[in-house]
Amino acid sequence: MKRMQAWGRVYLLVVFAVMYMPIVYLMYYSFNSGGAMHDFQSFTLKWYRDVLSDDRLLIIVLNTIVVALLSAAVATILGVIGALAVYYVKRQRTKNALLALNNVLIVSPDVIIGASFLLLFTIAGIKLGFTSVLLSHIAFSVPIVVLMVLPKLEEMSPTLIDAARDLGASHWQVLSGVVLPFLAPSIWAGFFMALTYSLDDFAVTFFVTGNGFSTLSVEIYSRARQGISLSINALSTLLFLFTMLLVIGYYVLSQKGGRLYGIGGRK
Amino acid sequence: MRRLVQGFAAVFIAAFVLMFVTHRLNEAEGYGGGKTVTVYNWGDYIDPALIREFEKETGWKVIYQTFDSNEAMMAKIAQGGATFDVAVPSDYAISKMIEEKLLLPLDYRKLPNLQYIEPRFLNLPFDPHNRYSVPYFWGTVGIVYNREMLGGKTITSWNDLWDPSLRNQILLVDGAREVMGMALNSLGYSLNDTNKAHLQEAKRKLDRLMPNVKAIVGDEIKLLLANEEAAIGVVWSGDAAEIIAENDKLDYVVPKEGSNLWFDNMVIPKTAKNIEGAHAFINFMLDPKHAAQNAEYVGYSTPNKKALAYLPKDIAGDRRFYPDLDSAGHLEVYENLGKHMLAYYNELFLQFKMQQK
Repeated sequence: MKRMQAWGRVYLLVVFAVMYMPIVYLMYYSFNSGGAMHDFQSFTLKWYRDVLSDDRLLIIVLNTIVVALLSAAVATILGVIGALAVYYVKRQRTKNALLALNNVLIVSPDVIIGASFLLLFTIAGIKLGFTSVLLSHIAFSVPIVVLMVLPKLEEMSPTLIDAARDLGASHWQVLSGVVLPFLAPSIWAGFFMALTYSLDDFAVTFFVTGNGFSTLSVEIYSRARQGISLSINALSTLLFLFTMLLVIGYYVLSQKGGRLYGIGGRK
Repeated sequence: MRRLVQGFAAVFIAAFVLMFVTHRLNEAEGYGGGKTVTVYNWGDYIDPALIREFEKETGWKVIYQTFDSNEAMMAKIAQGGATFDVAVPSDYAISKMIEEKLLLPLDYRKLPNLQYIEPRFLNLPFDPHNRYSVPYFWGTVGIVYNREMLGGKTITSWNDLWDPSLRNQILLVDGAREVMGMALNSLGYSLNDTNKAHLQEAKRKLDRLMPNVKAIVGDEIKLLLANEEAAIGVVWSGDAAEIIAENDKLDYVVPKEGSNLWFDNMVIPKTAKNIEGAHAFINFMLDPKHAAQNAEYVGYSTPNKKALAYLPKDIAGDRRFYPDLDSAGHLEVYENLGKHMLAYYNELFLQFKMQQK
């Protein structure tokens, strides 16, 4: 047993090393005064100054965050409604069909989703830009939220609702007082999932951006053609630290008062 | 429930606050009003200082957007969902865009600075009377090699690459026309050859090169060569200039059998809204001083003959990047071979890539 545990630790260590080494490597070279990702010359903050003084890049970062927050929030609301609808469908066959349709959207390649959105928006006469990016991000996030919320719904004991009904709760009261609080952890999980999907999406966004609107993934990709400038390293480092802060915040919140904030699950 | 609502309200408020900030930033930068020129260019293909200067000079604000391949850019423009006032496609893409009616004709009264362009860069087969495009940068395809790793040996021709001593030493760019063109040139054929027997012969010759090929890669070729991962690379001249600037053991040569001469030209897509601004921008970039500044920043060769006077001697006089085109008559521009022929090139290139070493 002891041996197994030791091997388990080694395994974990290797996995974490593989995942974090590239990030550490990237962060290390963001302080390189030489212009490239080799030959560390001397320490400099030049690339950070570059990033912070580049207004266009700043706008793009903010765009990315705005799209992520809005699309995740809207997709979560739609996804919860969708999950409830699927849950309340009586016929098993209809239910399976709906779930299958939901899953198809999750497994279909981003490129195809992106290209079809591009066609849709141009046919519908929607100008490419903020709206088109937001709409497509909402669209591809909804199925993920449904998939996060639905298992929790299935897990919910029907007696809980029966009890609430017996005590005289109306439909609305059952929903807002019993079902939604019970679902809260998975709703937040869905929200954060959608947030990360939106933040790192490249393929779909690439097709539907336009008119001066751009997100980070698209911008970094087109900059990388000429070799990745170290200011991209600096920016990535900042973003990494920012997400770390978010994760730590989330952790503290769920530790301190999971119940209070409705996140982090039952204890 | 209340906590959920509060949580989501907080998210929305945060999003709207950020949106407001972005809006204000956009306005501060001048992107808010209608006075903008949208430029669609390759990534990192302009000196940002020039954009600021253009804005100061004319009052137009520039929205600078980037693409990474001619194909992606054409798809975006053909779809028409977005406004682009100026774009910078390459030669073969221009003839395709003209064919598909994606471009607006230029108004030469608004482009007085065109007089500074070297006449030999005008009237080229992809846009015969320059009705739609004016040159931005040009360059060649050639060989970057590491003198030290080759032990002082120099390379002057495509055929040198087939030398058995170069086993596993060559990096190729992942481009069907470039690699097939290199094989065709090495056999003495034209880059635009459409004779299938010649193409088959070129493919067979490429197969014999395979033992020497270390990898067929994309843009990372620059990094790999600068890091001395391989001694030889087949690249575009602008990339070569960048690599050499990074590692001075490297040298660049345009092979004597001939090679590709390529152009990136400025055009006005049919989706343009601000045609006045587009002409102003193009004219601005044609100004010798601006062209020189841009060439120095980007590293590619400028077609502006007056700009050469403003460039440092060691750049303008560098025969590797400003070859004497009169004696280098063997340089050819890619012609649009048509869908069918292009597919054949791609097919052969794919077969070459797939074979076992």
